[in-house]
Amino acid sequence: MNADGPVVNVHVLFFAKSRELANTPRSTVDVPTEITATELLDHLVSKFGLTSIRDNLILAHNESYIDNLSDRILFKEGDELAVIPPLSGG
Amino acid sequence: MPVSVIDIHQLIAVRDISLKLFIGLSNATFITSRTMMESAVDSERTMLKREIADLRASLNQKEQCLRELEDSVSFATRSAQEVVGNDLESPGGTVHTKLTNDDIARYSRQLILPDFGVQGQLKLKNSSVLIVGMGGLGCPAAQYLAAAGCGHLGLVDYDEVERSNFHRQILHSEDRCGMSKAESARIALNELNPHCEIHCHSRMLYPHNAMHIIRGYDVVLDCTDNVPTRYLLSDACVMLNKPLVSGSALKMDGQLTVYNYGNGPCYRCIFPVPPPPEAVTNCGDGGVLGAVTGTIGAMQALEAIKVIVGIGDVLAGRLLIFDGSSCVFRNIRIRSKRPNCHMCSAQPLITELINYEMFCGMHATDKNNPTLLISTDERLSVEEYHRKIQAKPHLLIDVRQTAEFEICQLPEAVNVPLVEILDDSYLKRLGKQLEDKELPVVLLCRRGNDSQIAVQHLRNRFPTHFVRDLIGGLHAWTSNIDPNFPIY
Repeated sequence: MNADGPVVNVHVLFFAKSRELANTPRSTVDVPTEITATELLDHLVSKFGLTSIRDNLILAHNESYIDNLSDRILFKEGDELAVIPPLSGG
Repeated sequence: MPVSVIDIHQLIAVRDISLKLFIGLSNATFITSRTMMESAVDSERTMLKREIADLRASLNQKEQCLRELEDSVSFATRSAQEVVGNDLESPGGTVHTKLTNDDIARYSRQLILPDFGVQGQLKLKNSSVLIVGMGGLGCPAAQYLAAAGCGHLGLVDYDEVERSNFHRQILHSEDRCGMSKAESARIALNELNPHCEIHCHSRMLYPHNAMHIIRGYDVVLDCTDNVPTRYLLSDACVMLNKPLVSGSALKMDGQLTVYNYGNGPCYRCIFPVPPPPEAVTNCGDGGVLGAVTGTIGAMQALEAIKVIVGIGDVLAGRLLIFDGSSCVFRNIRIRSKRPNCHMCSAQPLITELINYEMFCGMHATDKNNPTLLISTDERLSVEEYHRKIQAKPHLLIDVRQTAEFEICQLPEAVNVPLVEILDDSYLKRLGKQLEDKELPVVLLCRRGNDSQIAVQHLRNRFPTHFVRDLIGGLHAWTSNIDPNFPIY
């Protein structure tokens, strides 16, 4: 992750399997104010041990799905990220 | 099967045990003998109860076979009539344009809802909904749809009712153990609302029958418990242009959305790649609270009613996430159709149903399939363990989660959950004992799958130790060694 430039602290919420892997329902993470979705995803995956579900999760920024991994995302202090893998039980 | 003869033999056996125990009772042995007798009676009681439950289940299965036979005969007759030119009334064939007095009395509380009204009730009465999976989600969903006056319900489930279903699958009952879940649900639903026409599809949904089954319905509910069927349903619903109300639940979590509705996405738009099998947990392994599946299932019924009646904002393009432990509902705005979706885009790459078990690399049931990581000759049967090792000094490690260990455990077993084996934190607790190379180490779990993973890990660390695991785990212990040991 590019460490140059301003950095903000954002909340991360984990759901379902990601909560088990990260071993916590919520955490915080420092991210650059501007970052591509791929870089963000890779950072979260390595910091919270999410390798096994990297390609099968919804990443939401302030309750909006991040459509495209090549998108650039702009962060403000206190923004919220949610990591949502699919549930399949019933 | 001569049921009564078996029961009588068993009763005589119980009486024999009691007599033997009574004869020759001296004062000194009275208490011990009475305890022995009580335990003999207890185990006899458990055995009889289990056998009665098994017999009842097989009776229900036989009745199910009979019903299926009669259904297929009547289907053949009806098909023959159709060939001759007689009208065959297909589900939803008759269009109702008026409510009966009974309808008005029965549905009065929803009829007076301004947005719903008579037109809404008529739309429901003329609608047909297919519910795939009559489990924790399907039961409450079907219950609310039938009760609300949905005219036709199709119920798909290949499975049979068993005791571990009751805590969440609230349409089934004790006396319908062994019956097909679809049939059991039909009986319960018709008690609730005899006007609802119910068609049971007591079989698995496959690529070769899915289109045929789904075609006749207006809306489909995904109440299944596995990933391959979720992709199958989504693809089939895209091809047939049916809205898919998709619910799922595990542990204390639930998810809900409506796929393939308006400009909303399909399942593949959101999850183009299936998760790896090891990242998927089913309710049988992860557990689930009935009130959580109930919450999601009831909301699936609500979304289906909104789709049919055309009221409110349908949950399409949004994903509802329910965290039961903190009781927080979140709505995540998900994407509209993915422009390059392999299934629902203008130029789809997939134009017919595929092999979904192969695509996902897992089975389309929540039944556990035995893992084979270690060859059988390097493992122990429960009999071998019981005969050769149990009485000798050894280290017995139960690798189940603590909550499961608390349900039941073998004497002498130490609980070290699999995660603590894999992250080596067990070394702190057992390091001393494991210094002794002569001490046999036996690992066990519920069914003999996780114990193999643990063996592989321990063997890498202690290559010269005797490390084995129990084939079939505690389930095998109950069936082959101790029938009184509980099964979950």
